[in-house]
Amino acid sequence: FRFKDSLAEDLRRADLVISHAGAGSCLETLEKGKPLAVVINEKLMNNHQLELAKRLHRGGHVLCCNCSTLVETLQSMDLSTLKPFPPGQPEKFALFLDKVVGFQ
Amino acid sequence: AGGHTTEILRLLSCLSESYSPRHYIFADSDKMSEAKIRSFEQKRAETFSNSQFTLDRIPRSREVRQSWTSSVVTSLYSILYSLPLTYRLKPDLILCNGPGTCVPVCICALLLGLLGIKRAIIVYVESICRVETLSLSGKILYYFSDYFIVQWPDLKEKYPKSVYLGRIV
Repeated sequence: FRFKDSLAEDLRRADLVISHAGAGSCLETLEKGKPLAVVINEKLMNNHQLELAKRLHRGGHVLCCNCSTLVETLQSMDLSTLKPFPPGQPEKFALFLDKVVGFQ
Repeated sequence: AGGHTTEILRLLSCLSESYSPRHYIFADSDKMSEAKIRSFEQKRAETFSNSQFTLDRIPRSREVRQSWTSSVVTSLYSILYSLPLTYRLKPDLILCNGPGTCVPVCICALLLGLLGIKRAIIVYVESICRVETLSLSGKILYYFSDYFIVQWPDLKEKYPKSVYLGRIV
């Protein structure tokens, strides 16, 4: 398929997700606790997409590779080494904003 | 636009109903944000009975990688366009998270403040995608916002006046 409104259902059923380094794709997958292999295409990507992918990789949250190393990465991967990436906490933002605005 | 809309709706998800009415402003070229916003507000209306919100579109100030000189022209146009809208809304609080769309509105709000018409609190939340560098909107609004929130410690180090609350989306 080319575009779906939501990948939530596909994500739920997946055992492994292979994705480009788009932030939405990465974060949505990680939130659902699915293992993620990020494929980086440095020629195509904006520099800032790379920032998040690199950080996630450094933190041990995702597998990282490029198009040519994808197969070898999948063959030798050990998903148990991946660390969970807990979702963000908008409650902290709400607390902060309440103080800023004076609702307490 | 796109990821920005998703992020900002997450930021709004825990806000109390005191933050009302909510005025959403997005780019005229944006096809998907309206649906996401309506869906968010619809869900919200299930919990809070008096949910009020409006939607407004403004011309996009700058396309990705648009040249510097043409960006100045399109940005000026967006600012002029946004002025009557900002004046009409007279917001108490502006919450933005990085699309080019937010800069003209903030500039108009600053102008209204300088003219003594209405002083808005400007809160900017840089996108979670920004780990090491700020977006262009961020670089501009770092100096003009009242509160500048970043979501990674590297940025807090580079931009000491920013606020770091951890990951909030």
